[in-house]
Amino acid sequence: MRTRPVLLALLCTGALVSSVACSVEKPSDGDAAAPNCGAGRDFLIGMSQANNAEPYRQVMNNDVQTAAAGVPGFTVVVADAAQDNSKQVADVENFLTQRVDLLIISPNEAKPLTAVVQKAYDRGVPVIVLDRKVEGEAYTAFIGGDNVAIGRAAGEFYAGTLLPDGGKVIEISGLPGSTPAAERAQGFREGIAGNPEIEIVASQPGDWLRDKGQSVADALLKTHPDAAAVYAHNDPMAEGAYLAAKAAGLHTTVKFTGIDALPVPSGGIKAVEQGRLAATFQYATGGREAVDLARRILVDCSTDVPRTTTLGTMQITSENAAETYARLGGVS
Amino acid sequence: MTHLSAPGKRPGAAVGPAGEERPGATATGGHRWFPAGRGELVERLFAVQSLFALLLVFVLAVVVSPRRDGEIIFLSTENLGNVVRAVSEIGIIAVGMTFVVLLGGIDLSVGAILGLSAVGTATLMVDSGFGIVAAVTVVLLIGALFGALQGYATARLGIQSFIVTLAGLQVARGLARIWSGGLGIPIAYGDGPQEAPAAFEILNGSINGVVPVPAVLFVGIGVAAIVVLRKTAFARHVYAIGGNEKAARLSGVPVLRVKVAVFAIAGLLAAVAGVIHAGQLNQGSPNDGAGYELDAIAAVVIGGTSLAGGTGSMGGTLAGALLLGILNNILALNNIDANVQLLIKGLVIVAAAGLQKLRRSIV
Repeated sequence: MRTRPVLLALLCTGALVSSVACSVEKPSDGDAAAPNCGAGRDFLIGMSQANNAEPYRQVMNNDVQTAAAGVPGFTVVVADAAQDNSKQVADVENFLTQRVDLLIISPNEAKPLTAVVQKAYDRGVPVIVLDRKVEGEAYTAFIGGDNVAIGRAAGEFYAGTLLPDGGKVIEISGLPGSTPAAERAQGFREGIAGNPEIEIVASQPGDWLRDKGQSVADALLKTHPDAAAVYAHNDPMAEGAYLAAKAAGLHTTVKFTGIDALPVPSGGIKAVEQGRLAATFQYATGGREAVDLARRILVDCSTDVPRTTTLGTMQITSENAAETYARLGGVS
Repeated sequence: MTHLSAPGKRPGAAVGPAGEERPGATATGGHRWFPAGRGELVERLFAVQSLFALLLVFVLAVVVSPRRDGEIIFLSTENLGNVVRAVSEIGIIAVGMTFVVLLGGIDLSVGAILGLSAVGTATLMVDSGFGIVAAVTVVLLIGALFGALQGYATARLGIQSFIVTLAGLQVARGLARIWSGGLGIPIAYGDGPQEAPAAFEILNGSINGVVPVPAVLFVGIGVAAIVVLRKTAFARHVYAIGGNEKAARLSGVPVLRVKVAVFAIAGLLAAVAGVIHAGQLNQGSPNDGAGYELDAIAAVVIGGTSLAGGTGSMGGTLAGALLLGILNNILALNNIDANVQLLIKGLVIVAAAGLQKLRRSIV
């Protein structure tokens, strides 16, 4: 019987587990002590991103990194959780192990990330929550758009401008469990309440992804070929729905709107300019604002940064698309 | 695709009762300690290849670990605790996967069963007011039953396990979404009506504040599995079926029963991982566990078990799971770009599989 390899295996596992229990660690100072800050120092910022595969989050990462490049001493490291909550928890824990000076996090879902964010906060690491919320109050600052207001603005656009005589609307929502999805849905329903002729006939999640949005729209457009418009919670899903409609030959009769309005060639503003989307609503990434807050906390040693920063929104239609794109610094 | 060499066709090696190659064993059943020749030395080395690789990666991790104030971050209590905790769920799933792969099959549904069981745990405790023991028992039974059904489909109906479990993946995912209404079920602790018993929170804690509870469960299940795989007749049957199913059936091995049992074990262990998952994240979400089956298969492959079935060891799988966990950790601590991380992990898996192929052609 080959007992030796088995014993070796047990030994290894046992060694690993017991080294966890018995490893000597120098008493670390300043775990929950006063935050370290000051001018002329180097700071390591950990950015825990929910899903790099989403264009919105790519732009958020770029915004953060570009803004951080302008602050001497700031190093930003980005970790991608690829929509897996467990991975994001592990990412944050790795940042804590590396003793980051500040944590920026855009959580995949609110509940699973709350505990680990609280752990970071209790340790004295300043935490800036971007775009999606965690539960409770254990964070330094939250920066995000008002998704309910954006949804409401979209709803009012539908009620007054896009479908003034009413019609059937298909909704393609974001990842269930993420706060923006719930809020954009809620706001939209508030917005269309003023026009009782508008009816939401179907609502399915596209998980913020273009391909998912396309496959969901495929099915929904087959079930409701008389739909007048598609309300997608973000631009990639709206573009996916447009492709689905094109395949079904419905792209001229159905109208599409999205949210995000990223000033990039593949973003929503260009899509409006080129006629695929009827409108989109700006949802700023908040990356620059986050780094600005970080600078105030780490370099200026400020202890009273605003708890909640709400980013504004604007409506983009074919009238202002080109001009807005240029103004927001988009490259052609 | 079935591996053409039956175990024991190599000169100098004899076949053990469990059907694995045993280097150093003489044809008369004795055992030589010293390798007699290059072939056998290589065979010996390969037998512990996964442990060797684990030690190698461990040493590498210590060497490339970032340092702070002279302290090696990788070896810190906190970090090693994180490593074993992160490895636990995939490790437990990989234990079940090893049984299936030894049989010559594959189980793609384990990630979805994890999601289903996480949802079940959360729903039963929070919405239906079950106690911990009742909720966990029901969920484990569901996992085992689901697995058993898949085993039956592949054994009796003769459908390839790849296809059966691919379908099972969709079914489990769908059931999870239906049961939860599509949303994650948050778990709040307390004595109130919509709250789970506080004792469940132990899954998120550690013993002595140091050794994470999921890691203890992983090691316990792993050791139990090693014992089962070495000592029981059941295990011998698994190896026999994996090596040559026709011969096994003709020798009187109850193939149908063994297959059903093996897939039931895989489903059961995936359900265990799901319970732990719900405890760790305080949520039962139907979307969780996506892709975990691939990580589990990677651990099994790195551990030296052949996907063709019939050869392999549980110790190898445990080593493979730990290796992947350490690899993930050092890549993250060294801030390697996420995309490069994917590349490296893929290369490691290919290298492990390549080594296996090499082993067969050298010896």
